Parts: sequence; C-alpha cells; structure tokens
Amino acid sequence: MNVFTCEDNLESKLTCIYTAWEKAIKVGHSNVRLEVEPIYMSNLFDEYTHVEADNIKAQKVSNSINSKISPDVYISVYYALLSNEDDALDSAYRFLINAFKVGNNAIFAINTPENMRMMELRRRVGNEIHSFVEFLRFHSINNQVYIGHIEPKADVIELVGRHFDDRMPSENWMIIDDNRRYAVVHPKDGDNYIKQLSSEEFERLRQTEGIDDVYTEMWRAFFDAIAIKERANRRCQMNHIPLWMRKHAVEFQG
Amino acid sequence: MRTYVRKRIDSANKCSYNVYMSNIISGFTTKEKLEILADAAKYDVACTSSGVDRKGKKGELGNSKACGICHSFAADGRCISLLKVLMTNHCVYDCKYCINRRSNDVPRAAFEPEELCNLVIEFYKRNYIEGLFFSSGVMVSPDYTSEKMCETLLLLRTKYHFNGYIHVKTIPGTSDELIAKIGLLADRISVNLELPTAESLKELAPNKNFSKILDPMEKISDTIAAHRLAIGKDARMERANINRYLDNSIFNSRMTIDGEKVKAIGDGRENIGLSRSVNNKTDYTALVPQGKQGGDLKRPFAPAGQSTQMIIGATPESDLTLLETTQRLYQAYDLKRVFFSAYIPINEDKALPAIGTAPPLLREHRLYQADWLLRYYGFQAKELLTEQRPFFNEQIDPKCDWAVRHLEAFPVEVKTASYDVLLRVPGIGPKSAMRIINSRRYGALSFESLKRMGVVLKRAHYFITCNGKMMFKTRIEEDYITSRLADSESKENWRIAHQNEQFHQMTLFETYGAMSS
Ligand code: SF4
Repeated sequence: MNVFTCEDNLESKLTCIYTAWEKAIKVGHSNVRLEVEPIYMSNLFDEYTHVEADNIKAQKVSNSINSKISPDVYISVYYALLSNEDDALDSAYRFLINAFKVGNNAIFAINTPENMRMMELRRRVGNEIHSFVEFLRFHSINNQVYIGHIEPKADVIELVGRHFDDRMPSENWMIIDDNRRYAVVHPKDGDNYIKQLSSEEFERLRQTEGIDDVYTEMWRAFFDAIAIKERANRRCQMNHIPLWMRKHAVEFQG
Repeated sequence: MRTYVRKRIDSANKCSYNVYMSNIISGFTTKEKLEILADAAKYDVACTSSGVDRKGKKGELGNSKACGICHSFAADGRCISLLKVLMTNHCVYDCKYCINRRSNDVPRAAFEPEELCNLVIEFYKRNYIEGLFFSSGVMVSPDYTSEKMCETLLLLRTKYHFNGYIHVKTIPGTSDELIAKIGLLADRISVNLELPTAESLKELAPNKNFSKILDPMEKISDTIAAHRLAIGKDARMERANINRYLDNSIFNSRMTIDGEKVKAIGDGRENIGLSRSVNNKTDYTALVPQGKQGGDLKRPFAPAGQSTQMIIGATPESDLTLLETTQRLYQAYDLKRVFFSAYIPINEDKALPAIGTAPPLLREHRLYQADWLLRYYGFQAKELLTEQRPFFNEQIDPKCDWAVRHLEAFPVEVKTASYDVLLRVPGIGPKSAMRIINSRRYGALSFESLKRMGVVLKRAHYFITCNGKMMFKTRIEEDYITSRLADSESKENWRIAHQNEQFHQMTLFETYGAMSS
C-alpha cells in the first residue's frame, strides 16, 4: 500500500489528492491511501510518502472538480477537507473516484458507502459552522473591537467569518480559533483576512475573554429571566447545546 | 473591577446619560427593568427569527436569514433567538390568564426607547441575539402604547441603523395607521388569537373580542399580500418547497376549505367559523397609504409574514377545533406560523385551572407535531382528527396515530412509492423521503441503507416493504401496533410530560454532585 501523508490544511490536502491520484494511475486506486499528519501508527508493510503543499497542483485539483464534475461536488469535497475526522481525506478521495465516473449524481446516489460517507461529512461540517454562527460570543473591548473565541473541531473559522462579514460589516471584529491559533480579522468596512497568531499575540488575546461588561451581565440576567420554571427541561437544553460548545458562551459562566 | 468597567463603558457610550437619567426617574436600573420585562414577556412562545433573507449593508448593523438563527437555549429548553421583552408591563386590561393583568400586584416597569435600542444593539453585536421580539402591556391606551413602540422601532431602524430581525406583537385595538407604521418597521407581525373560539375569549379576556383580533389580522394579511404583489411576488407567502410535490397540501392553491374552493386571500373566510362582523366589501388592501411612511425608510411590509398564538388547556376546546382553526388561519389569513402555548396557571380564578395544575406539555407537543403535518407533510386537519375522535392519542405521535387507523394503505414498497406516499409513513420525513427518491434511481435499497438515510425503522418497519419484504414478521393490527409504538415512545412521553420534576431531580443531582467534589 502506498500511503500519502500531508499537513492539516486545505492546500496540502488537495496536493495530496493530486499526488496520490498520479500514483494510482499506475498502481490502482485500491493501492493508495491518504492520511493527515501526524501519523501515530505506521504499518511496516506500507510505504509512506510525505506530500508538501503545492499551490499549482492544489489549484489543478480544485479546477478539474469544478469544471469536470460540478461546483456542488467541489463544495462537498471542500467541506470534507475541513473536517478533523480521521478518515475524511481518504473518504474525499474515494468519493472523487466515484464522482469522476458518475458526475454530479454522486451527491444523490447515497446507496454507496463512499457517497454516503461524503454526505455525512458535509452535513457534520455544515452543522458545525451553523452552531458557531449561533453560539459564538463576542466580547467588547472598549466598544472599539469585538473579539470572539471558538474551539471548533473542523477548520471552519473562515466560513464562520463569512457570516459575520455580512452581519457586522461596519464593526471591527476578530474570531479566534483557540486550538489552531489563527484568526479571521475584519476591519471596519473592510474585507476579512486570515492571520496566524504568534504566541505572544495569542496570549494577549486570550485575556479578552475575561472581560465582562454591563451588557454581559444584563445578558445573563435576561437568560435567567426568560426561562419558564414550570417548563424547566434541562435535558432538552443539553441536547441543543453540548457542553464543549458552551465553553465560550457567557450565559453558561459566572 | 466591575465599577471600573461600568464607568469606562459609560464614558464610551454617548447614550448612557439618558438611560441613567430615566432610571433615576423610574427607580429601576436598566438591568432590573430587563429582568421584569423579560419575565413578563416569557409566556409568549414565538421566538423565531425566521422567514426573511436580508443581506447586510455597509454602515448598518445586521442581516437576516430565512432559516432563523437560535442563539441559546434557556433552562426550559426553549430556543432564545430574539431579545423578548415588553415595552412595559403596566396594563389597563384584565385578561384572566395573564400575569400582567391590572388586578395583579407585580412590580411594573417601562423601557425608555433609547434604553431599549441600546440593549438591542449591544446584545446584537455580541452575537447574543438575532433581533427583537417586541410586545407590551397596554399603558394608558392601545394607541398610546403603540405610539411608544413605534418611536422605539423608528429609532432602532434609523438612528441606530439596525438591520436585524424585528417581530412585533401588536396590541388589540391599535389604530390602522399605527399598525401600518409598525408593519413597515418590523419583519414579522403577530396578533395573538389567544383562544380558538369567541366564547372562550369573552370568558377569559373581557376587554378583548374576536373581531378586535381578527380585524387587524385580516388587514395585515391583505396589506402583506398587496405589498408582495406590488414588488412582483405571489400574493401568498412562500411555503416549504415540499408542498409543491404534495397535491393534498393545505397550501396548494387548488385546495379547498370544507369543500369551497379558496381562490384568493379573503375567500372562504365566511365559512371558517372565525367570521367577522365587519362589512366584507371594505377595501383593506390600503392599510399603508401610498407614498412615504416612516421617513426615508424603504422597507417591505412585514416581509417575514404574520403569526399568532393560542393558549392550550385553559378552555375546553378539542384538538380538532384547535387544529381546524390552525388550518384555516394558514389558508384564509395566510399566516406564516401558528404557535401553541400550554397554559401555566399563574392566576387564581374560578374560570381557570387551579394553580399547581400541570401544564399540558405533551398535548402541546402533539399539536406542534400535527401543525408540522399540515405544513410539511400534506395532511389536512380533518384527516388527522374527526368529530367522533376529536383528541389525539397523546401516547403516540399524530402521524403514527393516523397510520394505525389507516392500515389498509400499508405497507408501501419503498422502491416504487411516490414521494407523497413515502412522506405519510411514520419514521420517514421530508429529507429521508427525498433521499430515497434520489438514490433508488442509482441502485438497490436495503433496510440498512434506509437506516443510514435517516429513516427511523423502529417506527417505519410496520408500514413498509423493501424489495417486497417486511423487516420483521409482525402482526398488522391496529391495537397491537399502537401499543408497540406507544411502548417505544413511552420514555420520551414521560419526559415531556414531567420535564419540570425532572429538572428538580437534575438540579439536586448537580448540587450534590458539586458538593461532593
Ligand atoms: S392586554 Fe395583554 S398584557 Fe394586558 S392583561 Fe391582557 S394579555 Fe396581559
């Protein structure tokens, strides 16, 4: 088995698909596998090749999916590549084998395991984006800039940022992925951009979450007042907001 | 530390001077007012921000997503999407079921317009809310109160450039002119029906009457339709796409109400039991006069449509009456949503269930499920319930209830059944039905693949065959299947009916858990 491995980012993953595909033309798709680094358990019988990100190859993959299959299939692949699930990269590859054969219908023909898995991955990542659109909380720094911290499982911060670009175009704000340590930055009336954070920047920005103001307090007061005690339903509340998402929602703290 | 932060915010906030001045006058801080006026608003169930897509704009704050966005879930499990508050809980009316009625001795407060605007804006920027759900008790008179509400809304839309979602619950008795203004500032308007029959309303809300509620509801409905036509849309509100595939849907224009064809909005109202005493010939489409309203604001009239709410369990109406009323409200008034609210006894009154009576939560749940069957599954109220059987079997969901009483229509073969037939199978929803239709063209189906498509086989297996075979050998008999289905739902049913007690158990558990660690 030829195993192709790459770093955990979109460009690397697309390049990895390109490289594995090239090899598969000679040895067959069933003899290649794709994995995201770090690799914890390597197998003696497998041959591992690290693939370095290559912008041109990544572009080629994205272009050919978009033009030869369909933009919708590309969106599915794109979402899967944002996922942090172990098999996501390889699953995207398997799905593409199928999609290059049957075209856009691969999205609907979910009675094959590859296509079904793809639908699941797309749905999960989509749900995660939606959840952060709902549960992200901004902290106001002197009414000048609004900072929000999240710890998403999938790499969704850029897509979450798109929502807020439309929602708050004329404010300064920033959304930070605390695990991946990078941020989507939105300057007032400007465009979103991605910024990798140095440890010093990250530490400073981390403090912002401790800042409560009168509105944080009032929000908590509202949150308590609006519940009807005769209908209390903790389980239902739990099902809707899992604990790991509550971590940054101020109404569940303090 | 807190005071330091507060001072800093004050100096940074231009409007805080006014806010604090008014607090001195009323004796309440903004936070205290918020507590009082959110508490007083909490019995209104609608909190959705759905129904309209609106992009953001530079220089403004906010957008709107038709699917709605929820921002949190309160301890009662209900979604928090909007800042749900009253302008004031002062009220000159005395509705028996209401916490704010004149004869109750509760703390009373009122927001200043600027004060409320600030709350909306600051909450919105922190992503706590999608917008405002705005309602009020009746201070002085309906028009006096509505005027105040209008002032707040206009400030919010103009001075504060708020472009997010606003739902306004109007006050019965407000003049047409003010309702017209409100409609241009809000995304959704509601007039609460409160009770499904004129008799019940008279009994419990002596200051209200049916025509005071239905009259504005009709005018709003006509005005929305007129505005939609004017911008080239269909007069009737958009409905879930799915209804296009469902011949039997209540939203299908060919559909009838009690045998009478509904040609356009307004038709069929005479025989819906919600008949109005007002002259039908009056032209109400001009609730909003031509020309400019509300400054330079160019806004559509209530683009997210109209909704209403009915109280469940305070009066003797059957589920059939409630559901038929619901269907008629959708068809004749083109309402976007009808909400139900299980009555919670808060006032001592001969005409009402005693304090301590458990709110009928399971019944409310079944009515919501039935409402979904009307809106997404192509069912009619009369199919689900009959005069002989006017209440749902609370132990199973209304779709199962319907299916077991129509066993002659089952089992259906998933390989060949049409979309609308699949949709009537318990355990199959709009999404899984669509997945079945889409995927069966490309390959074989199996029970395993049905499961992965989201079909709930636990319920569905009594009603389907796959490749000619049922999943298990099972008795096809109404009583047997009913009891099996009820068994499988019993845990969940108990939970819904007793959510309150469970909460106490949970909190106790949490308290003790925390103490021991
Ligand atoms: S008018 Fe509204 S606030 Fe006043 S008592 Fe009746 S329901 Fe309550």
